[in-house]
Amino acid sequence: MQKYDGATDLLNSAIESIKHVFSRPMQVEAPHLFEQTLIQSDIGVLVGIVGDMEGRLIIEGEGRIFSNLSQSMYGMPLEGEMLHSFVGEMANMIAGNTSTLLSNRGRHIDITPPTVMVGKLQMYGFSRGIRVTVHLEAIGPVNTILLLQA
Amino acid sequence: MTKILVVDDAAFMRLMLKTILSKNGYEIVGEAENGQDAVEKYRALSPDLVTMDITMPVMEGVEAVRQIKLIDPEAKIIMCSAMGQQTMVVESLQAGARDFIVKPFQEERVLESIRKAIGA
Repeated sequence: MQKYDGATDLLNSAIESIKHVFSRPMQVEAPHLFEQTLIQSDIGVLVGIVGDMEGRLIIEGEGRIFSNLSQSMYGMPLEGEMLHSFVGEMANMIAGNTSTLLSNRGRHIDITPPTVMVGKLQMYGFSRGIRVTVHLEAIGPVNTILLLQA
Repeated sequence: MTKILVVDDAAFMRLMLKTILSKNGYEIVGEAENGQDAVEKYRALSPDLVTMDITMPVMEGVEAVRQIKLIDPEAKIIMCSAMGQQTMVVESLQAGARDFIVKPFQEERVLESIRKAIGA
Protein backbone atom coordinates (compact mmCIF):
# COMPACT_ATOMS: atom_id res chain seq x y z
CA MET A 1 0.00 0.00 0.00
CA GLN A 2 1.35 3.44 -0.90
CA LYS A 3 2.23 5.68 2.03
CA TYR A 4 0.46 8.98 2.46
CA ASP A 5 2.97 11.66 1.41
CA GLY A 6 1.86 14.53 3.61
CA ALA A 7 5.10 16.31 4.57
CA THR A 8 3.39 19.69 4.34
CA ASP A 9 0.46 18.51 6.42
CA LEU A 10 2.85 17.08 9.01
CA LEU A 11 4.98 20.22 9.17
CA ASN A 12 1.96 22.52 9.40
CA SER A 13 0.56 20.37 12.20
CA ALA A 14 3.90 20.52 14.02
CA ILE A 15 3.96 24.34 13.77
CA GLU A 16 0.36 24.45 15.01
CA SER A 17 1.40 22.25 17.94
CA ILE A 18 4.34 24.51 18.76
CA LYS A 19 1.95 27.46 18.99
CA HIS A 20 -0.25 25.45 21.36
CA VAL A 21 2.56 24.06 23.54
CA PHE A 22 4.47 27.35 23.89
CA SER A 23 1.36 29.57 24.03
CA ARG A 24 3.24 32.79 23.39
CA PRO A 25 3.69 35.32 20.59
CA MET A 26 6.01 34.03 17.87
CA GLN A 27 7.12 34.60 14.32
CA VAL A 28 7.39 31.64 11.97
CA GLU A 29 9.94 31.85 9.15
CA ALA A 30 9.38 30.37 5.70
CA PRO A 31 10.41 26.68 5.34
CA HIS A 32 14.00 26.04 4.27
CA LEU A 33 14.69 22.87 2.27
CA PHE A 34 18.00 21.01 2.58
CA GLU A 35 19.53 17.64 1.65
CA GLN A 36 21.98 15.05 2.99
CA THR A 37 23.41 16.70 6.12
CA LEU A 38 22.00 18.36 9.20
CA ILE A 39 24.35 20.08 11.63
CA GLN A 40 23.23 20.54 15.20
CA SER A 41 24.99 23.26 17.18
CA ASP A 42 23.94 22.66 20.79
CA ILE A 43 20.82 20.68 21.85
CA GLY A 44 18.33 18.75 19.74
CA VAL A 45 15.59 16.18 20.28
CA LEU A 46 14.63 13.55 17.76
CA VAL A 47 11.20 11.91 17.70
CA GLY A 48 10.52 9.11 15.21
CA ILE A 49 7.23 9.17 13.31
CA VAL A 50 5.59 6.09 11.80
CA GLY A 51 2.20 5.41 10.28
CA ASP A 52 0.44 7.27 7.45
CA MET A 53 3.48 9.56 7.31
CA GLU A 54 7.02 8.50 8.17
CA GLY A 55 9.99 10.63 9.13
CA ARG A 56 11.80 12.19 12.06
CA LEU A 57 10.87 15.38 13.83
CA ILE A 58 13.73 17.32 15.44
CA ILE A 59 13.41 20.31 17.73
CA GLU A 60 16.78 22.05 17.91
CA GLY A 61 18.30 25.16 19.41
CA GLU A 62 20.69 26.67 21.95
CA GLY A 63 20.69 25.50 25.56
CA ARG A 64 20.31 29.07 26.89
CA ILE A 65 17.18 29.52 24.74
CA PHE A 66 15.62 26.34 26.15
CA SER A 67 16.62 27.40 29.66
CA ASN A 68 14.89 30.77 29.10
CA LEU A 69 11.88 28.86 27.83
CA SER A 70 11.70 26.66 30.93
CA GLN A 71 11.90 29.80 33.08
CA SER A 72 9.08 31.37 31.11
CA MET A 73 6.83 28.28 30.96
CA TYR A 74 7.41 26.74 34.38
CA GLY A 75 9.14 29.43 36.44
CA MET A 76 12.44 27.62 36.74
CA PRO A 77 15.64 28.09 34.72
CA LEU A 78 17.02 24.60 34.16
CA GLU A 79 20.47 23.30 33.37
CA GLY A 80 22.29 19.97 32.94
CA GLU A 81 20.26 16.76 32.89
CA MET A 82 17.01 18.42 33.96
CA LEU A 83 17.29 20.86 31.05
CA HIS A 84 17.84 17.94 28.67
CA SER A 85 14.80 16.19 30.13
CA PHE A 86 12.72 19.37 29.72
CA VAL A 87 13.74 19.69 26.06
CA GLY A 88 12.89 16.01 25.47
CA GLU A 89 9.48 16.40 27.09
CA MET A 90 8.81 19.57 25.13
CA ALA A 91 9.48 17.71 21.86
CA ASN A 92 7.28 14.85 23.09
CA MET A 93 4.44 17.31 23.69
CA ILE A 94 4.88 18.89 20.25
CA ALA A 95 4.97 15.48 18.52
CA GLY A 96 2.08 14.16 20.61
CA ASN A 97 -0.09 17.17 19.85
CA THR A 98 0.89 16.86 16.18
CA SER A 99 -0.35 13.27 16.13
CA THR A 100 -3.62 14.40 17.75
CA LEU A 101 -4.16 17.16 15.17
CA LEU A 102 -3.48 14.74 12.30
CA SER A 103 -5.78 12.16 13.87
CA ASN A 104 -8.58 14.74 13.88
CA ARG A 105 -8.08 15.00 10.12
CA GLY A 106 -8.15 11.25 9.59
CA ARG A 107 -4.38 10.72 9.39
CA HIS A 108 -2.76 8.40 11.90
CA ILE A 109 0.82 8.48 13.11
CA ASP A 110 2.59 7.05 16.13
CA ILE A 111 5.66 8.55 17.79
CA THR A 112 8.72 7.13 19.53
CA PRO A 113 10.00 8.33 22.91
CA PRO A 114 12.24 11.37 22.37
CA THR A 115 16.01 11.00 21.94
CA VAL A 116 17.92 13.98 23.30
CA MET A 117 21.18 14.87 21.53
CA VAL A 118 23.65 17.20 23.21
CA GLY A 119 26.57 19.02 21.63
CA LYS A 120 27.68 19.78 18.10
CA LEU A 121 26.99 16.91 15.70
CA GLN A 122 26.19 16.05 12.12
CA MET A 123 23.28 13.85 11.06
CA TYR A 124 23.08 11.78 7.90
CA GLY A 125 20.72 9.11 6.63
CA PHE A 126 17.82 11.04 5.13
CA SER A 127 16.98 12.13 1.60
CA ARG A 128 15.52 15.54 2.32
CA GLY A 129 14.87 17.86 5.19
CA ILE A 130 12.67 20.86 5.90
CA ARG A 131 13.61 23.40 8.56
CA VAL A 132 11.28 26.06 9.95
CA THR A 133 12.72 28.54 12.46
CA VAL A 134 10.27 29.81 15.04
CA HIS A 135 11.20 33.04 16.88
CA LEU A 136 9.63 32.98 20.33
CA GLU A 137 9.07 36.51 21.62
CA ALA A 138 11.48 37.47 24.42
CA ILE A 139 13.03 33.98 24.27
CA GLY A 140 14.76 33.45 20.93
CA PRO A 141 14.80 31.08 17.94
CA VAL A 142 13.96 27.36 17.98
CA ASN A 143 14.29 25.19 14.86
CA THR A 144 11.66 22.66 13.87
CA ILE A 145 13.11 20.13 11.43
CA LEU A 146 11.42 17.34 9.53
CA LEU A 147 13.68 14.63 8.04
CA LEU A 148 12.15 12.50 5.28
CA GLN A 149 13.28 9.34 3.57
CA ALA A 150 11.37 9.77 0.32
CA MET B 1 -2.67 11.71 53.13
CA THR B 2 -3.32 10.39 49.61
CA LYS B 3 -0.33 8.42 48.33
CA ILE B 4 0.55 8.92 44.67
CA LEU B 5 2.88 7.08 42.29
CA VAL B 6 4.13 9.31 39.44
CA VAL B 7 5.00 7.52 36.18
CA ASP B 8 6.74 9.35 33.32
CA ASP B 9 9.94 8.69 31.40
CA ALA B 10 10.88 12.39 31.57
CA ALA B 11 12.56 13.40 34.83
CA PHE B 12 11.41 16.96 34.20
CA MET B 13 7.75 15.96 34.00
CA ARG B 14 8.06 13.84 37.16
CA LEU B 15 9.57 16.89 38.89
CA MET B 16 6.69 19.10 37.70
CA LEU B 17 4.03 16.66 38.85
CA LYS B 18 5.75 16.03 42.19
CA THR B 19 6.00 19.79 42.80
CA ILE B 20 2.32 20.38 42.00
CA LEU B 21 1.10 17.42 44.05
CA SER B 22 3.37 17.96 47.08
CA LYS B 23 2.42 21.60 47.50
CA ASN B 24 -1.25 20.60 47.39
CA GLY B 25 -0.96 18.11 50.22
CA TYR B 26 -0.42 14.82 48.40
CA GLU B 27 2.31 12.36 49.32
CA ILE B 28 4.54 11.10 46.51
CA VAL B 29 5.33 7.53 47.54
CA GLY B 30 7.33 6.70 44.44
CA GLU B 31 8.13 7.45 40.84
CA ALA B 32 8.70 5.22 37.82
CA GLU B 33 10.23 5.93 34.42
CA ASN B 34 8.56 3.20 32.37
CA GLY B 35 5.51 0.95 32.47
CA GLN B 36 7.31 -2.10 33.79
CA ASP B 37 8.86 -0.10 36.61
CA ALA B 38 5.36 1.28 37.35
CA VAL B 39 3.82 -2.19 37.67
CA GLU B 40 6.58 -3.32 40.05
CA LYS B 41 6.32 -0.16 42.15
CA TYR B 42 2.52 -0.41 42.28
CA ARG B 43 2.86 -3.92 43.69
CA ALA B 44 5.48 -2.81 46.24
CA LEU B 45 4.01 0.55 47.31
CA SER B 46 0.20 0.14 46.97
CA PRO B 47 -0.42 3.82 46.13
CA ASP B 48 -3.91 5.36 46.31
CA LEU B 49 -3.52 6.81 42.84
CA VAL B 50 -1.18 6.67 39.83
CA THR B 51 -0.44 9.35 37.20
CA MET B 52 0.60 7.49 34.03
CA ASP B 53 2.36 8.69 30.88
CA ILE B 54 1.77 6.70 27.66
CA THR B 55 4.79 6.98 25.36
CA MET B 56 7.58 5.37 27.38
CA PRO B 57 10.36 2.87 26.65
CA VAL B 58 10.33 -0.78 27.88
CA MET B 59 6.56 -0.85 28.46
CA GLU B 60 4.12 1.87 27.37
CA GLY B 61 1.50 3.31 29.71
CA VAL B 62 -1.70 1.67 28.48
CA GLU B 63 -0.19 -1.81 28.86
CA ALA B 64 0.99 -0.83 32.35
CA VAL B 65 -2.60 0.15 33.21
CA ARG B 66 -3.82 -3.29 32.10
CA GLN B 67 -1.20 -5.05 34.22
CA ILE B 68 -1.86 -2.91 37.28
CA LYS B 69 -5.60 -3.59 36.97
CA LEU B 70 -4.81 -7.32 37.03
CA ILE B 71 -2.99 -6.80 40.35
CA ASP B 72 -5.68 -4.45 41.73
CA PRO B 73 -8.97 -4.08 39.83
CA GLU B 74 -9.80 -1.04 41.99
CA ALA B 75 -6.57 0.81 41.09
CA LYS B 76 -7.12 4.53 40.39
CA ILE B 77 -5.03 5.62 37.41
CA ILE B 78 -5.04 8.94 35.58
CA MET B 79 -3.38 9.10 32.17
CA CYS B 80 -1.16 12.11 31.54
CA SER B 81 0.00 12.16 27.93
CA ALA B 82 0.79 14.38 24.96
CA MET B 83 -1.03 11.86 22.74
CA GLY B 84 -4.60 13.10 23.04
CA GLN B 85 -6.28 11.52 20.03
CA GLN B 86 -9.64 9.90 20.59
CA THR B 87 -8.42 6.36 19.97
CA MET B 88 -5.76 6.76 22.65
CA VAL B 89 -8.26 8.15 25.15
CA VAL B 90 -10.74 5.34 24.46
CA GLU B 91 -8.04 2.66 24.69
CA SER B 92 -6.85 4.07 28.02
CA LEU B 93 -10.31 4.24 29.51
CA GLN B 94 -11.09 0.71 28.28
CA ALA B 95 -7.88 -0.48 29.96
CA GLY B 96 -9.20 0.95 33.21
CA ALA B 97 -7.90 4.52 33.51
CA ARG B 98 -10.21 6.96 35.36
CA ASP B 99 -9.34 10.09 33.37
CA PHE B 100 -7.11 11.39 30.59
CA ILE B 101 -5.14 14.64 30.84
CA VAL B 102 -3.45 16.01 27.72
CA LYS B 103 -0.03 17.66 28.07
CA PRO B 104 0.75 20.48 28.35
CA PHE B 105 -1.64 20.67 31.31
CA GLN B 106 -2.81 23.29 33.74
CA GLU B 107 -2.17 22.63 37.43
CA GLU B 108 -5.86 22.91 38.31
CA ARG B 109 -6.80 20.32 35.67
CA VAL B 110 -4.51 17.78 37.37
CA LEU B 111 -5.82 18.56 40.86
CA GLU B 112 -9.44 18.42 39.71
CA SER B 113 -8.89 15.00 38.13
CA ILE B 114 -7.22 13.61 41.26
CA ARG B 115 -9.95 14.95 43.57
CA LYS B 116 -12.59 13.35 41.33
CA ALA B 117 -10.76 10.01 41.20
CA ILE B 118 -10.29 9.71 44.95
CA GLY B 119 -13.77 11.05 45.70
CA ALA B 120 -12.53 14.03 47.70
